[in-house]
Amino acid sequence: MAIKRLFVLGLFFILIIAIFTTGLFSFQTSQEEAMVPALSESAVIDIPQEKGVFERAHLALDYSNMPVDENHSRSLKTYYDNRAYHGAPPSIPHEVNNQMSMGGKDCLKCHENGGWVEKFGAYTPVVPHPEKRNCRQCHVPATAKDLFMGTTFKGAAPPSIHNNALTGSPPIIPHAINLRENCLSCHAGPSAPKEIRVSHPERVNCRQCHAHNEQTTIDIGEFTRKTYDTTD
Amino acid sequence: MKELEFNRVSNRRSFIKKMARLSAMAAAAAMFPGILFADEQERMLPSGELEWKKAPCRFCGVGCGVLVGLEKGKAVAVKGDPASPVNKGLCCVKGYHSVMAMYGKDRLTKPLVKKNGKYTAVSMDEALTLIASKMKETIDEYGKDAVSMYGSGQWTIPDGYVASKLFKGCLGTNNVEANARLCMASAVTGFLTSFGMDEPMGCYEDIDHANVFVLWGNNMAEMHPVLFSRLLDQQMRRGAKIIDFATRTTRTSMAADKSILFKPQTDLAVANAICYEIVNNGWVNKSFVEKYCSFSKGSTDIGYGIEDKFKFKDVPEGIDFEAYKEFLKDYTPEKVQAISGVSAKDIKYMASLYGDPNKKVMSLWCMGMNQHTRGTWINNLVYNIHLLTGKISTPGNSPFSLTGQPSACGTVREVGTLTHKLPHGVVMNEEHRKHAAEIWDVPVENIDPKPSYHTVEMFRALDRGDIRFMWIQVTNPMVTMPKLNRYRDATKKEGRFIVVSDIYPTPTTDIADVILPSAMWIEREGMYGNSERRTQYFEQMVEPPGEAISDTWQIVEVAKKLGFEKQFYYNEDTHIEEIYAEYRRHHEGKKHNMAPLEVLKAQPGAMWPYVDGKSTQWRFNSTYDPACTQEGFDFYGKPDHRAVIWQRPYEAAPEIPDEEYPFWLNTGRVLEHWHTGSMTRRIPVLHKAMPHAYAELNPADAKAMQVKTGDKLRLTTRRGSIEIPAAINERGVPTPGQVFVPFFDENLLINDVTLDAFCPISKQPDYKKCAVKVEKV
Repeated sequence: MAIKRLFVLGLFFILIIAIFTTGLFSFQTSQEEAMVPALSESAVIDIPQEKGVFERAHLALDYSNMPVDENHSRSLKTYYDNRAYHGAPPSIPHEVNNQMSMGGKDCLKCHENGGWVEKFGAYTPVVPHPEKRNCRQCHVPATAKDLFMGTTFKGAAPPSIHNNALTGSPPIIPHAINLRENCLSCHAGPSAPKEIRVSHPERVNCRQCHAHNEQTTIDIGEFTRKTYDTTD
Repeated sequence: MKELEFNRVSNRRSFIKKMARLSAMAAAAAMFPGILFADEQERMLPSGELEWKKAPCRFCGVGCGVLVGLEKGKAVAVKGDPASPVNKGLCCVKGYHSVMAMYGKDRLTKPLVKKNGKYTAVSMDEALTLIASKMKETIDEYGKDAVSMYGSGQWTIPDGYVASKLFKGCLGTNNVEANARLCMASAVTGFLTSFGMDEPMGCYEDIDHANVFVLWGNNMAEMHPVLFSRLLDQQMRRGAKIIDFATRTTRTSMAADKSILFKPQTDLAVANAICYEIVNNGWVNKSFVEKYCSFSKGSTDIGYGIEDKFKFKDVPEGIDFEAYKEFLKDYTPEKVQAISGVSAKDIKYMASLYGDPNKKVMSLWCMGMNQHTRGTWINNLVYNIHLLTGKISTPGNSPFSLTGQPSACGTVREVGTLTHKLPHGVVMNEEHRKHAAEIWDVPVENIDPKPSYHTVEMFRALDRGDIRFMWIQVTNPMVTMPKLNRYRDATKKEGRFIVVSDIYPTPTTDIADVILPSAMWIEREGMYGNSERRTQYFEQMVEPPGEAISDTWQIVEVAKKLGFEKQFYYNEDTHIEEIYAEYRRHHEGKKHNMAPLEVLKAQPGAMWPYVDGKSTQWRFNSTYDPACTQEGFDFYGKPDHRAVIWQRPYEAAPEIPDEEYPFWLNTGRVLEHWHTGSMTRRIPVLHKAMPHAYAELNPADAKAMQVKTGDKLRLTTRRGSIEIPAAINERGVPTPGQVFVPFFDENLLINDVTLDAFCPISKQPDYKKCAVKVEKV
């Protein structure tokens, strides 16, 4: 009996102490001056070149098993027709209903994973950078046909796709990778232009064999190694 | 690091080439003796043979780093520069297509002189000689203050520098202004009144640290899309909150965690209500305010500058915290709810975000706060919020004023191409005049101690005949001036001589007596300075068309013809380098030192103050800023080293909707076009996406008026009227009782009907508020 009472009393005692301490603690913190807490670690987020290489790898087997729909494949020609130059962001070739929306909510419905669209008789191209949600920051539709003034601009020509160094050796990646790190989004699946559709999407570590050959700096010429002074 | 990458790329490349060549030769030698395949093998290698060179983007003030792809002397491609800390490899649609702006079919290639109403092509030398003689004539007949230069935030640093040196130093007139007066003068006066030094204390890296972004009347998703993508990244990865505080629902509102709409002009009241909440809830950072802030009030009921020769001088008066608290009592959330249409709950919510000591807050704004008849005040008020809570000058805590032009900061604010400014300091200050005169190699008496005309007044003076000669470079005032009707007529008056340097025919070249073809952006060498105090260099990459030369060299040549060979000693091949070296001397010292050119050439820009080989990311904070002379914070722009918390009331706009003109008229930009569209409209992708201007109405108003998208509307103000197609539920939705029209379209000139009222302190016009009548045609 006594032990039970002691136990109940003890329990109450602990509870009271707990309430008291929490109250005191929160009172004290509320008394503290508004202050800015010490810096946390830098949260700088970079866009590393290697990011996203394996992003769609879980779909690779599906891609590899999918029959190829030759009749509705995109071609490289239509692919480039929709760009001002090789490497330019493509335009939106269809109507956009909601001018105001952020793309993340609307565009990604179709462009995140692709698929057949009856209305256009085509497969939806897949975006290689779905995390960039303000789609129309770079991709705009054409609402007018005429130009304001003519232009003499000639864009960079598309690179040759027959770029193996040797017969049978793996071709080289001839374009910038920034924002297009995710190879499978353009090179695999039904929406991939037929000329650049990869025959082996299940080999997901693409850059194991395909070197990136995009010159971003001025050529400094041949590297010559210093020779040692030797005494014969 | 850069070096390493450089070698790696190059080595891998040459390795591949070499391997290809070697194995081909080996195979050929073995199989077909006597035949070598090397050339063919070379050709087989990808045509990634473009040469890529770095530059800051030509368009907005974000200052993205771009890499321009060059082939056979032409720019053929663009990609974002992954090495740039500004955009980290991402651009917007304008940036990606920016090089196309150089290749419009109607580029100006020859100097044109108007003779009997018709333009005749002349040689560049002839045109520049005519300009010099016309300037001389005008000065002889009407005095030095009858000649003027109207430049731009798109001027490179050397352009603005030589313009200022010629006009202020040599000719002795302060008639140098730039279009940045129309876009960020209020930001400047806001900084000067609150901190005594211009430009943001923080930098873009604040975005990576902040927990909350409050956008004050700023549609960042369209106007500063690359920075906005950095906000979105933080929202997605770290759960940072975006609050869109605006008068119009836009893409930004769609991406924001909360959209709060207010009635035009009432941001003043809401900002004060936020301060009221901060003070009354005990969220004031007391030690910060005690150590580093002072309180002041200025004149009230200060007018709107609608009349010619308007004069105003603020009379600041120090007050104490108690008086400031008393003043705030007029701005309880409940009282402000009635003025602003923002619910007291939302005001308290915003205040709680600023007041929470565990949240780092970044406020961002651009034209919404700057193009405001109380622009200086609203800038002050937002600084008040950050000062009261001590959320300033530390990573992530940052009131951040964005700019719209690539070098509004670099050229207009830092070089000082405004009537009252010198490269370092102001014309009113004798010490500053002496300093400038010494570097310019002119007698100090040359520099007039009195500012002359600010932009609006300069065009009024042209109308009155006080100004007779105006040289306009890199800007398009015949699209951008408010109450444009009056100022267009002014330029056409008898006895006015207008020179326009541009790259395409525009409404401004239409009124010119002499048109000079300019070399733009990477057709010449130069530097821009972006919103985060970053100066970026670009080399000449392509040849300018025809006889076009840079704006810098146009001015240098005219200066020499006017007899200032001694001051304009520059060598044609190296003049940009020489000018920059001379300019740097003005800013020597820990507070404003500029990075040397070698540094700018080697890296994607550097932020001033550049001290001991390092950019300063957060000014006024002794941890980061070597110019601080005391522990903690040091607002050294002010003599007492204290930032000022200003008592600034809410005052109504000059022209409020009434029965006759029942709508507010708001103007602005769209994502696809930049400034007046003279460049972006010549880029097919951009023009096709946004071919013309339109008038947005709230769907409720549209329904009441039976208007649908595409219907023609007539907008009439007290200045005139225009007809324009309606856009309902398209790019943006204004609040009921408001019309929004973008200003880029030279065929649908909304500025014909806007009001030329301005902030009396900054003299920046308010393009966002006037009364308009809307009729269906």
